[in-house]
Amino acid sequence: MDLFLDVTQNLLVGFAATCKLFILTLIFSLPLGLVVSFGSMSRFFPLRWLVRTFVWIIRGTPLMLQLFVVFYGPGIVWGTTIFADREVAAVVAFVINYSCYFSEIYRSGIEGVPKGQNEAGQVLGMTKPQIFYHITLLQVIKRIVPPMTNEIMTLVKDTSLARIIAVVDIIFVAQRYITSSALLWPLFYSGVFYLLFCGLLTIIFRQFERKLRFFSV
Amino acid sequence: MSVLDVRNIRKCFGDTTVLDDISFTLEKGETLSIIGASGSGKTTLLRCLNFLETPDSGKIIVNGETLFDADDKNTQRESEKRKKRLHFGLVFQSFNLFPQHNVLKNVTLACELLAKERVDYKQNKRAIQKEIENNARELLDSVGLSEKLGFYPHQLSGGQQQRVAIARALALRPDILCFDEPTSALDPELTGEVLKVIKGLAEKDTTMIIVTHEMQFAREVSDIVMFMDGGVVVEQGHPEFVFAAPSEERTKQFLERYFEG
Ligand SMILES: Nc1ncnc2c1ncn2[C@@H]1O[C@H](COP(=O)(O)OP(=O)(O)OP(=O)(O)O)[C@@H](O)[C@H]1O
Ligand SMILES: [Mg+2]
Repeated sequence: MDLFLDVTQNLLVGFAATCKLFILTLIFSLPLGLVVSFGSMSRFFPLRWLVRTFVWIIRGTPLMLQLFVVFYGPGIVWGTTIFADREVAAVVAFVINYSCYFSEIYRSGIEGVPKGQNEAGQVLGMTKPQIFYHITLLQVIKRIVPPMTNEIMTLVKDTSLARIIAVVDIIFVAQRYITSSALLWPLFYSGVFYLLFCGLLTIIFRQFERKLRFFSV
Repeated sequence: MSVLDVRNIRKCFGDTTVLDDISFTLEKGETLSIIGASGSGKTTLLRCLNFLETPDSGKIIVNGETLFDADDKNTQRESEKRKKRLHFGLVFQSFNLFPQHNVLKNVTLACELLAKERVDYKQNKRAIQKEIENNARELLDSVGLSEKLGFYPHQLSGGQQQRVAIARALALRPDILCFDEPTSALDPELTGEVLKVIKGLAEKDTTMIIVTHEMQFAREVSDIVMFMDGGVVVEQGHPEFVFAAPSEERTKQFLERYFEG
């Protein structure tokens, strides 16, 4: 019993680190993704091309590889590590990666609003900001909630990749029990934490979706 | 003085000329129907009038005021477009109601936003909002939807949605109300209720431009019928002349094809 409590406690510490990476990634990549999506929809061709190419590269290569590049890359190129702190490097890589994924969700959400909505607002004498705020915004939100939910659930589990550059997380802690005490079950036990967390997120997002069910797009 | 004076409007998309030298006038209280084959430029003409497209040349004059002149940059300021649009109303083929707002809000929203620009808005907020809402209720009553104020667009039939769209356009009291094939997206059994509303407006001397494929309706309701083909006005005149005795060969052919098929 003591062992179970001890393991639980240590896993919780690891899970706190997992949550920290998760939350920091969301805080930065949710708004940054919007900026990237505007870039990818820009009418200025060079910018649009640049942003879309970047998004293509990030979405087309493994996050694990991107973690290596962010952590070791600067050292190889300039001889210094910019992100000496492993955790900072992990957050940076995650933010870049998830901004690109989110940007595509935003883009499809924004482009999915029929042109006629915008035109109806214009014809009724509304300004662009009014159209965005009173007409487009909620329709975009409704469209992006389901894909966002998926992506955010993936992020919960992706955080475990940060271990690759030796960032401590819950699995990192659980694995130590294998080497130190030849215990395998803490590793499986760590899965319960992910499950509960994802379960909680599912409930929150479902609630949100339900709130938006009063209209259909 | 005519309410609307359109002079020599020309509009190209790339190499194709979609509107070629369109001119016409409309008097207050008149109903103009525009008929013509698919691709003849009817929608584009309405979009030019509502400043959704910018003509390449020509003038648009409303109540003597030049709203648009292709040769005069002063009439083309982006910042003034918004106010100029308010001279016109537009009812779309696909309704384009705002799905997240209920019927009443669809009608009041634009009025409320405009009212905020009034200097006395802060003082008389309550009264102004009340007035806007009462006006919307009256309009919705007049299109037979007083029972549906709290409904959302997806809970309405196409015919009901289009009637909301008409009330929404009327709420801003445009000088000229434009319809782009208002019944084309409707099931046949629903077109009647919408046409009836438009007919009612014509009887109340609302100035209207109606693009339609409903020839019988156009004949009954309009003061002038305009036949367009390939971006030009082939013929315009009193509906009895255009329908019963068209003077142009192209009009004859179009009508024959229509009444045969
Ligand atoms: N944004 C655009 N870019 C390029 N071409 C366009 C555009 N809008 C319309 N056109 C072309 O202009 C022509 C006239 O189109 P318009 O929609 O005005 O016709 P219409 O008379 O309304 O036809 P319909 O009865 O099918 O609605 C068509 O050939 C169309 O392909
Ligand atoms: Mg059309």
